[in-house]
Amino acid sequence: MADSRAGFLATMRAVLWSFVGIRKRKDYQDDARSLDPRAVVVAGLLGGLIFVLVLVAVVKWVVPT
Amino acid sequence: MAAVTPDQLHGHHHGPTGLMRWITTTNHKDIGTMYLVFALIMFFAGGVMALTIRAELFQPGLQVVQPEFFNQLTTMHGLVMVFGAIMPAFVGFANWQIPLMIGASDMAFARMNNWSFWLLPPAALLLVGSFLVPGGATAAGWTLYAPLSVQMGMGMDMAIFAVHIMGASSIMGAINIVVTILNMRAPGMTMMKMPLFVWTWLITAYLLIAVMPVLAGAVTMILTDRHFGTAFFNAAGGGDPVLFQHVFWFFGHPEVYIMILPAFGIVSQIIPTFARKPLFGYASMVYATASIAILSFVVWAHHMFTTGMPAATQLFFMYATMLIAVPTGVKVFNWVATMWKGSMTFETPMLFAVGFIFVFTMGGFTGLICAIAPIDIQVQDTYYVVAHFHYVLVAGSLFALFAGTYYWLPKWTGHMPSEKIGKWHFWCSIVFFNLAFFPMHFLGLAGMPRRIPDYGLQFADFNAIATIGAFGFGFSQLLFVLAIVKCARGGERAAARSWEAAEGLEWTVPSPAPHHTFEEAPLVR
Repeated sequence: MADSRAGFLATMRAVLWSFVGIRKRKDYQDDARSLDPRAVVVAGLLGGLIFVLVLVAVVKWVVPT
Repeated sequence: MAAVTPDQLHGHHHGPTGLMRWITTTNHKDIGTMYLVFALIMFFAGGVMALTIRAELFQPGLQVVQPEFFNQLTTMHGLVMVFGAIMPAFVGFANWQIPLMIGASDMAFARMNNWSFWLLPPAALLLVGSFLVPGGATAAGWTLYAPLSVQMGMGMDMAIFAVHIMGASSIMGAINIVVTILNMRAPGMTMMKMPLFVWTWLITAYLLIAVMPVLAGAVTMILTDRHFGTAFFNAAGGGDPVLFQHVFWFFGHPEVYIMILPAFGIVSQIIPTFARKPLFGYASMVYATASIAILSFVVWAHHMFTTGMPAATQLFFMYATMLIAVPTGVKVFNWVATMWKGSMTFETPMLFAVGFIFVFTMGGFTGLICAIAPIDIQVQDTYYVVAHFHYVLVAGSLFALFAGTYYWLPKWTGHMPSEKIGKWHFWCSIVFFNLAFFPMHFLGLAGMPRRIPDYGLQFADFNAIATIGAFGFGFSQLLFVLAIVKCARGGERAAARSWEAAEGLEWTVPSPAPHHTFEEAPLVR
């Protein structure tokens, strides 16, 4: 399994955990073996965008129109 | 301090000697030493300015300096400490340590490395020399806000050029660090085996490359507004001074992390050594550093809550800022968990590292308080903010720099630093630091504005205490110089692995590190 590359969802999952800053050891070891660094960078930018959009949505929900 | 002993110099160093050695050197250790010495000189220059400020503030009324000069001092203290002391000091650490820690023979672009250092002294001369020109130095605050910065005398132009030059130096340094880390690691050292100091610097270097051009753009727009008829920040010409604040803080907030992430890296090296346990949650530390870096780009307007913005925008920046506390908290918990049940000893580097965690966390919490928009609107531009960022930058960045210096001095000089002087330095620093800056919280909450040379009588007592603390802190730093000079001149011989439980490639080479190391790449298990 050493050559198997992580799919889109697995990459996104790793990146989203990184936003909290924690990761289970076993999952981290799987990540280290299978993640493609270029995919992680793309997923990181996507994660940043999702983070901003979620915050915008929360703000829109909180502020009365 | 001597980077190498003379016998090694004769053995391995074949370039020019004397002053020319330092001017022409391409050796990462020499350049690292020059960065560190430069930063120390600038630290004392900025420190003298700080003490003059505090002397003026010892009592209400004007005793020591005129208000115009006082404003120049607050501005230049900030600029000198940020761009002259903290940032070059971390680059000095990077130069010395990154090649040693990844098993590289030198930095990737050795000549560019020399250039990025030698740009700094002219920039420093421009900055400090601006006190002597007509109108004096810039007095617009270190943030150089328009319209003040559009109106100042030629000292402002000198500051702008100094920022340009130091920015170019930082960008070149950052490119060098990224390329070195990505391309020159020893065989077997995968990214996730890199020491955390290397990781934090890799991420910091990307931040530098991303935001230093933004700062250069901001100050260039000021320059063209001043001299070439543009009106970017002039409302009369259709511009907007608030635009400057947005551009500046888009640089300024990641800059905060540029000054703290390498500090996290240093502390993450030291705590495992003196707790005699591997770092708890290495991967989560890497992840947390990366996410702090990403989040640092979407929080800049929390510095501008009082400039007027819609409630929705305030809430966005408030939420985003508060969420940064999550990965930062993860780091603090990881350091504490590393120490948990460890066989701890408290040599000077560990004292400063533990002191860092304690005092930096207090600065982090006051940051969280400032992040809440309705509170920030009350405390903005008061001494509460001054207290907050000094807790982060002095007790954070500076304490980590002290910790790192004591930790790696044996590798740099070949001698162990004096524990006695080191411990005195630590205890004096932490006591006087808190004496100087803790009362500023109360002053800020009571409404004392920052950047004023005179104040109402109700602020007198806490200001007197803060000044006593500041002078105590300032003079305690002479102990730091004494410790470095004493260590460079002699003392107990340091072993290759200078600290019992130190891990990493830098401890596999002799102490002091020979002029050339890892000419053949080591193999990492």
